[in-house]
This record gives sequence, structure tokens and C-alpha cells, in this order.
Amino acid sequence: MTGLAPIDGVVVLAIFAKALGYGAALLTMGGVLFTVLFAKRAEESVLRLARHLAVGAALVGLAVLALRFGIRAARISGMGFEGATDPMMLGFVWESPLGTAAIWRGVGELAILAILLPRVGKWIALAGSLAVAISFAQVGHSLGELRAPLAVLLVLHLLAVAFWVGALLPLRKAALTTTGADLLHHFGNVASYGVGVLIIAGAALAWLLSGSVAALFGTAYGLVLLVKIVIVSTLLGIAALNKLILVPALRAEKRGAAIALRRSISIEMLAVVLILLATATLTSVTTPPINL
Amino acid sequence: MIKQTLFGMVVAMAPMLAAAHSKSETTTPADGATVTEVPELSMRFDDPMRIISVTLSSPDGDVEIERETGMDPAKEFLAMPMEELAPGSYRFDWRGMASDGHPMQGSFSFTVAK
Repeated sequence: MTGLAPIDGVVVLAIFAKALGYGAALLTMGGVLFTVLFAKRAEESVLRLARHLAVGAALVGLAVLALRFGIRAARISGMGFEGATDPMMLGFVWESPLGTAAIWRGVGELAILAILLPRVGKWIALAGSLAVAISFAQVGHSLGELRAPLAVLLVLHLLAVAFWVGALLPLRKAALTTTGADLLHHFGNVASYGVGVLIIAGAALAWLLSGSVAALFGTAYGLVLLVKIVIVSTLLGIAALNKLILVPALRAEKRGAAIALRRSISIEMLAVVLILLATATLTSVTTPPINL
Repeated sequence: MIKQTLFGMVVAMAPMLAAAHSKSETTTPADGATVTEVPELSMRFDDPMRIISVTLSSPDGDVEIERETGMDPAKEFLAMPMEELAPGSYRFDWRGMASDGHPMQGSFSFTVAK
């Protein structure tokens, strides 16, 4: 197996913290996108949930950001967990690209808290979401001249994923409201484009980072990426099932339709958790074939 | 349950070691070499590497070494043993951070013969 870094206890903790950070970032960006895009179609109770989701996830994201600084400091120090609070080690982390990313992420997540303000707050939060997405483009392997296209693709990929992931909880609630079926139907139409962006940007990223199909099977990066693709495909299958069967059933007011749809959305959420863990593993302990 | 399973999977992957980034690194003494004396311990990297912690260990415990290279990122790392190394097997471990911010670690082993 090539391109797999050594894994120890701190690395496992780093992977979980990273997955949690991804989840928080996606939920907070997605909560904002939902609030902006469905302001007219969703009921107030659903919009309130989306706003609270954005704020709660932003706060968790800020806490995880601090935690990840400590974990990174511990990892580079070789002192174990003592290194997590060592000012010199934290200084090294701050000077690294993670420091730059932390500024974008932190400022973005703080700006998202503005969603609680009336009127203009929504737009401040939207700018914050973009800053959070951009923060992810600040870290990663040194890729030379590929840096700019990769950054654009990554930001697009993340916004599309966030739109989807952040909508799951509000939609699950919406399934119980009177206008829910129309909202879900509308979401399905918008999400079709979102999924298109997600797949095209994701595939382009994978292609640029892998360089060849053979690299997918011979490297640790390729194998974890394949695991991720399998889970994403399952998720897309569930989403298609929702759009083509369960949402039409809800619109036709079939019995049990709301329960079936809510259960299906819950399974989607579980798949998202698995994808985040796979992605965190992918970006923590494996090296893209292009860097090998 | 899922968490435990994933934890298990990650831990199970642990033995499949390969040092990312440091593939093209060369060391003195070379990894696996048998040498008669060790005037210096050095490593070379493609990209500047911030080496933060280093340890030289033998079966009898850690051996003191003096760093020539500080903690600033450098393509070449140099350290010297404080005393002449007695015959036996040694392992050099390092941790640090690559210029892209990734935490890095690696090691090499060598044997000192009479």
C-alpha cells in the first residue's frame, strides 16, 4: 500500500475531529443556503430550524477549530497530548496553511451567526458561508499550478454538498407540515442541478488528484476514495428514490408517505456521516497519487 | 457501534505503513545500513520540512544527540551524536510538519558494527 501515513491514537482523534469539523461546516453553510433559497416556500417553523441549525453548527465548528489546532500541535510535537497546549507548537500550526484556513473558517462561522439578525443578516451569513467554503481551499497538498482550478472546484463541490446536507433536517421537519410536499418537490428540482455540480466538481477533483485510474486501485488514497464513491452512490440512490417515489406519494397524500420519507431522510443523514468519516480519513492519512 | 467499527478499521490499517511525502528522502546513515562509525545523522527532503522532535534510540534506551538544524523549515536536517555510538542497532525517529501544514513523521534504522 503506497501513500498511507502511520496511524496512531492522536491520528484517529484527528480524523474524528476533522469529520466533525466537516459536518459542522456543511450544516452551517447548508442551513444558510436553505434559509436564503427557500425563504418564500418554507414555513416559518422550518426556516427557524434551518437558522438554528446554521447557528448551532457554526458554534460547534468554532469549538472544533480550536480543538483541531490542539490536535495538530500534539501531532507535530512528538510530545503526545502535552504538545496540544505548547505555545511554540501552536505557533507553528498558526504559521502553517491551517492558520490561514482557520482565519477564513473562523470569520465565516462568526459571520453566519448574523443569520439571527433581520433582513441584512441573511446576506452577511451568505458571505460567511462562502468564506467557510473558501477556507477548505487554503489547506491541502502543494499542487503548484493546479492550485487555482482545484480551489474553484473544491469550493463549488462543497457548496453543492452543503446545500444538500444542510437541507436534510429542515426537509425532514417539512414533511410534517402542510406545505411540505410542495417544498420537497421544489427542493428535488433544485437539488438535481446541485447534484450535477457536486458530481462534476467531485469527479474533476478526483481526476486531477489521482492522475490515472490505475492509481485508484494501487494507492491508499484511491481505495478510500472508492469507498467514498460507493457510499455517495448509495446516497444518490436514496435521493432518487425520494424524488421519484416518496415525494410524489407525499404530494398525493398517500398514507404513511410522510413516515417513509422521514425515515429515508434519516438514512441519508447516516450515509452523510459515513461519507464525512471517509473523507476525513482520505484527507488525513493518505497522499493523493499526484503527490507520490 | 458504527463508530467502533470504523475505529477498528482505521486501527487495522495501521500496520500498512508508508511514509507519505518523505518518499524521496535520503538519510545518513542509510536506512538498514551497517556502518562502523556515525559522525553525523542527516536527512534530505524535496520540500522544506520543519523537523520538530527527533530521538535516537538503541535497545538500551535513548541516545543523546545534538541538533545542528533548528526548527525552521529546511531541506536538509543535520544532527550529531554527543558521544561515539557503541556497536548495536539504532533507530532514528522524527516528527514535524511539511510546508503544506501536514503533520509528518518518519524513521530510519541502522546498525553500528565494531
